[in-house]
Amino acid sequence: MLRLIALVSFIGIMFQNCAPTRFVKPLAKNQNAISANLGGPLIHFGKPVIPIPFTSFMYGRGLTNSTTAFASVHTTAMLYGNFQTDIGVCQRLYKHDSLKFGITLNPAVNMVYDKWNNNFRAWPQLDVNVYKDILKDKAFVYIGLTNWFELSSKKAHNEVQKNHALINPHIGLTYNTKKWGYTLECKFLQMNSKNKPNVVDYVGIQKKGAVGIYLNFCRRF
Amino acid sequence: MKYLIVIVTIMFLSSCLRLDDNLYNLTDKITEYKLDNYTGEQDFILDNSYHIPDSLIHVFTLSSKTVNESSAKTIYAIYIGQISRIQTDTVIMYCHGNKWHMDFYWQRAKLLAHTSGKNKYGVLMIDYRGYGLSEGSPSEDGLYADADAALQWLKLKGLSDNRLMMYGFSMGTAPVCELTNKSRSMIPSKFILEAPFASADVMANDGSGLNMPGSFFTNLKIDNAEEIKTINQPFCWIHGTNDNFLNINSHGEVVYKNYHGIYQEAHRIPGADHGEIPVKMGFDNYLNTLSTFIKK
Repeated sequence: MLRLIALVSFIGIMFQNCAPTRFVKPLAKNQNAISANLGGPLIHFGKPVIPIPFTSFMYGRGLTNSTTAFASVHTTAMLYGNFQTDIGVCQRLYKHDSLKFGITLNPAVNMVYDKWNNNFRAWPQLDVNVYKDILKDKAFVYIGLTNWFELSSKKAHNEVQKNHALINPHIGLTYNTKKWGYTLECKFLQMNSKNKPNVVDYVGIQKKGAVGIYLNFCRRF
Repeated sequence: MKYLIVIVTIMFLSSCLRLDDNLYNLTDKITEYKLDNYTGEQDFILDNSYHIPDSLIHVFTLSSKTVNESSAKTIYAIYIGQISRIQTDTVIMYCHGNKWHMDFYWQRAKLLAHTSGKNKYGVLMIDYRGYGLSEGSPSEDGLYADADAALQWLKLKGLSDNRLMMYGFSMGTAPVCELTNKSRSMIPSKFILEAPFASADVMANDGSGLNMPGSFFTNLKIDNAEEIKTINQPFCWIHGTNDNFLNINSHGEVVYKNYHGIYQEAHRIPGADHGEIPVKMGFDNYLNTLSTFIKK
């Protein structure tokens, strides 16, 4: 049974956190971008520590200079017969040109449909990021929160859903070339949940949650 | 874009990965049952006062077949007690948890054989298919078929329904609820659930923190929380308040609350984690609790 619970936790984390923040800075108007990302919670795999290699692909387009729309396909979830996508926008809220920092908000909706039982679920997501340009604007660092919201008042067996917000802090670095962007992001997943004892040996903090590492490769055109 | 949609659709429809096969914990392989001589990990080890004479320990095989199988699987069983007395004894059918094999659970079965006194009741335990030395691969249907094969054997040896007690621990609560709710070979007179899980949906809820259905990761249909609603037999529930694997609130309390039969009693064991209940209760207290319930 321990194994079972560990695997369920694994999948729970997978659904929520198989991708980094989609956009920290909006694209320019009419600019397009596609990205592939790889990464997930860190686990001890024998002696080495590795991230679980979750994958997803995303497409984004700049609607204005401060608003970018995006949609994704989660390929790892798909391998398990679940069609998962997150669709949303990145909206710049504030920008300080001389101090070279800004604040953005990513409202999105995560939708999952499983082909086995035709179950469908949707969860709103709201990422908040603060970024600071560095290296003569070739790169930026950012910190933020990835927030998932459960709107349902009930859960399995008609029990009351008490937890309506899942908050995962993250920090990241993006380096841009003319066409490409490379991002390394680190999240603290399920920071309020115990991670031990567990068959999957997560690397957490103070025996809680899991540290997730994500790589994102973005091509703009 | 058209091609992308086609590729995504094909990928989605053709994908077939499920966690089901990984849910069963069979990692400790054995070549023989060692029982008291087993030196691997165990939840606890009883002292010599709980010794069972070899003459009362019977290791044997049973044939078990699910509805969809063409041939039967050979599974292993251990009966503690005099087989000739099954015609008159009360018997506890012990359905063990998800871990490894009967050697791991031997101490638990031995402890149960002291309920109401040493060898007062018979105890039957099996290794489900794929566990221990039993043939085959685990499956949900297999769990039920294997437990029912054990009940068929008890019936053949003369056990009557009114002397059959079903005891399930953790994953073993699934065959107990299934065979009590939808009786096959025998109708248990009472049942005991230690650290039961509610359903795959609850596990998905707990794992994700969201109202996520279990079908996102498994095809398991085990649903004790629903199944127990239509069980009428007297019910004893034991759960540790510190169960880190099957949370007492999201799993145990839901199962307990959903029972609407003729009698129920709850034992919430302070500080006990999954697998720690007999130790945290104290063996005497644990056995007295079971004995009182069975004699009621």
